[in-house]
Amino acid sequence: MKKHRGCRVIAVLGIAAITSFGLVACGSGEGSEGKEGGTLRAAYAVFPESMDPQLAYTAEGWNSIYNTYIPLLTYAHAEDEAGSEVIPGLAKSLPEITNGGKTYTLELRQGLKYSDGRPVKASDFKYSVERMFRLNSGGSAFYTDIVGAEDFQRTRKGGISGIETDDRSGKITINLVKPRGPFTNELAMPFVALVPPGSPDKDATTDPPPATGPYAISSVKPGQSWSYERNPEWLRNNAELMPDLPSGHVDRIEVSVIRNQSTEVNEVEQGRIDVMLDPVPPDRLAEVKQRFEGTQFRTEPSVSTYFFWMNTTQPPFDDVEVRKAVNHAVDPEALSRISGGTMAPTQQILPPGMPGYEKFVLYPHDMAKAEAMIAAAAPSDREVTVWTDNVSPNLEAGEYYEDLLSQLGFETTLKTLGDNYFTTISNLSTPELDTGFGNWSEDYPHPNDFFEPLLDGDSIAPTFNTNLAQIDEPSLNRKIAELATQQLDPELESQYASLDREFMELAPMAPYGTRTLSLFVSDAIDFDSVIWNPTFSADFTSIRFK
Amino acid sequence: MGVTPEPNVAGTSARGPWQLAYRRLRRNRIALAALFVFVGIVLFALAAPLWAEHVAHTGPNATHTTAKVVVGDEKREVVDPEGKPVGPLWFGAGGEFFLGADGRLGRDEMVRLMYGGRTSLLIGLSSALITTTLAVVLGLVAGYRRGWTDALIARGLDVVWAFPVLLLGIALGTALAVGGLKIGPVQISGGSILIPILIIGFVSVPYMARPIRGEVIALREKEFVEAAVAQGSGTLRVMFGELLPNLWSTIIVFFTLNIANNMLLEAGLSYLGAGVRPPDSSWGSMVSSGVESIYTAPLLTILPGGMILLTVLSLNVFGDGLRDALDPKSKIRLEARTGIAEPAGTAV
Repeated sequence: MKKHRGCRVIAVLGIAAITSFGLVACGSGEGSEGKEGGTLRAAYAVFPESMDPQLAYTAEGWNSIYNTYIPLLTYAHAEDEAGSEVIPGLAKSLPEITNGGKTYTLELRQGLKYSDGRPVKASDFKYSVERMFRLNSGGSAFYTDIVGAEDFQRTRKGGISGIETDDRSGKITINLVKPRGPFTNELAMPFVALVPPGSPDKDATTDPPPATGPYAISSVKPGQSWSYERNPEWLRNNAELMPDLPSGHVDRIEVSVIRNQSTEVNEVEQGRIDVMLDPVPPDRLAEVKQRFEGTQFRTEPSVSTYFFWMNTTQPPFDDVEVRKAVNHAVDPEALSRISGGTMAPTQQILPPGMPGYEKFVLYPHDMAKAEAMIAAAAPSDREVTVWTDNVSPNLEAGEYYEDLLSQLGFETTLKTLGDNYFTTISNLSTPELDTGFGNWSEDYPHPNDFFEPLLDGDSIAPTFNTNLAQIDEPSLNRKIAELATQQLDPELESQYASLDREFMELAPMAPYGTRTLSLFVSDAIDFDSVIWNPTFSADFTSIRFK
Repeated sequence: MGVTPEPNVAGTSARGPWQLAYRRLRRNRIALAALFVFVGIVLFALAAPLWAEHVAHTGPNATHTTAKVVVGDEKREVVDPEGKPVGPLWFGAGGEFFLGADGRLGRDEMVRLMYGGRTSLLIGLSSALITTTLAVVLGLVAGYRRGWTDALIARGLDVVWAFPVLLLGIALGTALAVGGLKIGPVQISGGSILIPILIIGFVSVPYMARPIRGEVIALREKEFVEAAVAQGSGTLRVMFGELLPNLWSTIIVFFTLNIANNMLLEAGLSYLGAGVRPPDSSWGSMVSSGVESIYTAPLLTILPGGMILLTVLSLNVFGDGLRDALDPKSKIRLEARTGIAEPAGTAV
């Protein structure tokens, strides 16, 4: 996307020769000259909920470990569709799938080392998957189809029998209880990135395990900052063994937490921060666009759904009519304005850009109808706690939603949280989990990624729960499971589109938009070199100084 | 400074100390002007429901993101598709959006400013009452009892004092935001306005209790205290019957200044997200949300910031005047500041 924009600017000049040169330069991202080395200073508005590969499950978390902890498979360091391609990571090649889709065989590259010098072994994969289950990670739900995984999740004893490893040959065999279409993508998720045995069974954010990627986390100040140094074993061993993965240009990366996004913009404008990892806040967007578009700023698409979840297990949202009324009340156009025009209105679970997306609107905005439906439903419990995080525009979206529920006759209390928002609302022991803001961005380009974590009854977990609405509809659970066994093709995409509609008929959430993100860098950065991966956003290994 | 010598010195000897203080205060025109400004601000805040109902026709938290407002013959969007709010309309729409909309949610800025003032003043006054009550009791007990009681209270106050007050407020505000506060049978929810009131009231105690304790230590050696003890007065009687009346002038001055300090602390806490919880507004939280759009709508920051400035300034100036009027040593301060000495015989 960004490359087209850059080329358009040049085309306006009407100089054919320059245009053609521009096309080449923009197309490759490698054509322009840049400097190697230096310290990159980046900023985020929130500290990741975790930087432990087995636990991290937010955009900030994944961005922070993309180039540090490498799974057996990973994603190409590229933009748009090319960036959604699964490529070999620590494994020599993509998995060999046999036994009717139930057995995945991979081979670990020989000679890999962790940043502390220890050798990477095939058995570390088994250890890492088991560690993920022991930590009760939100990612566990993706891997319960491995033979023995469910038992291990329950008992935490005996290991996962479905994973067989041979340290000598590096062979790793994974047996599934049933075929699983997106499993190749799931092997590329950071949840199953390898860490050495002995890594503690607790969140290792402050005591990071040794890295396998080009950068190793060198210091962490929770809530404030973290930094990376080059992994000493990368250039010595790993880089040569994983030629598809870039080594990065800068020697050191320092990421600071700057709570106010407007301050982040100021810092980038003044060159004190090199990369703003958050989108430019809506209030500054027009100004930044006008001054820096094409040179230091560009918008980036996201495959995401922003929504308000409703807890279907307790009043008043256990009544489907109440949930439908809320869907009619929510106005995606209002939320687009609240987001400064960066939210494309949508009212369904699958976002544009995700296979299986077919646009439909079941609940056109109609406040009068919503009020009538609430009156007819006459919920006995009208005390509702609304949750949201305190980052713009999610905070304003939460305030809008709270006001909307008040207009529908609910007695509302708004609770706003910072870095701990997701951790709090995904912990089912948190009291008054009635309704609130949520969003979901693609983990991988397969519609199962939206249905299984967000809407499958089996995904309901006491902590790191991703099924925020806690919807547990057996017939739809079965359908999710059945579709997940198949490889993606047009027929399967059509079935996912039907599933989208079936879930929206139960209205467990009120989706309202897909967000447009942005990249904003300082004048010192080689702008065209920066890669925005659709899953991991700004790729540190691509960033270099002019 | 606006202080003039009293015309009738001879007549003052018959007046009580409070009357004398009142006369001195009346002569301090700057302090009176500050009082006038503060009363005006209080009335502005108290009028919030009237303005909201009869002029703006909307509540402080009601959103109008996709609404339109009629200005003359023209219909204007309260928030445009790119999220830019309408600016001040004054009386162009009959008083609706008098100061414009507050941001992308399209709430009426004037209504929020007035209601925000109620919140800020309520927190300032209530927390100052809590601070004063606790500080007076602790200061009296520590200063009069001395010994291990004094040591215990003084060290306890030192512990609270040792924390930077804003950091302590943030820590408590953040910790109580979700679960609220439970003290025995009393439960306060996390979003309640009582949380910032209690936090601010608590963290400010040492700043008032220490000087009161010092004054009590000085007073307990005075003859009138010895006389009361000799006449068989008990500890409580001495503390609250003899010492407390002699502390009133100090307490009143501290109370006034404490309101201003606590309002500033509330503004700081709300600015940092640990004070008043959205969607409710206080001037501090309005400054915080306004900062996001300071480049496109600077009034959203300047207005609540200006109200804080005016309120705190008026309270501080009035508090100074009150201290000059009540404190027997005020003569020295007045001389030092204005070069105008009070006439002899007016000391309380």
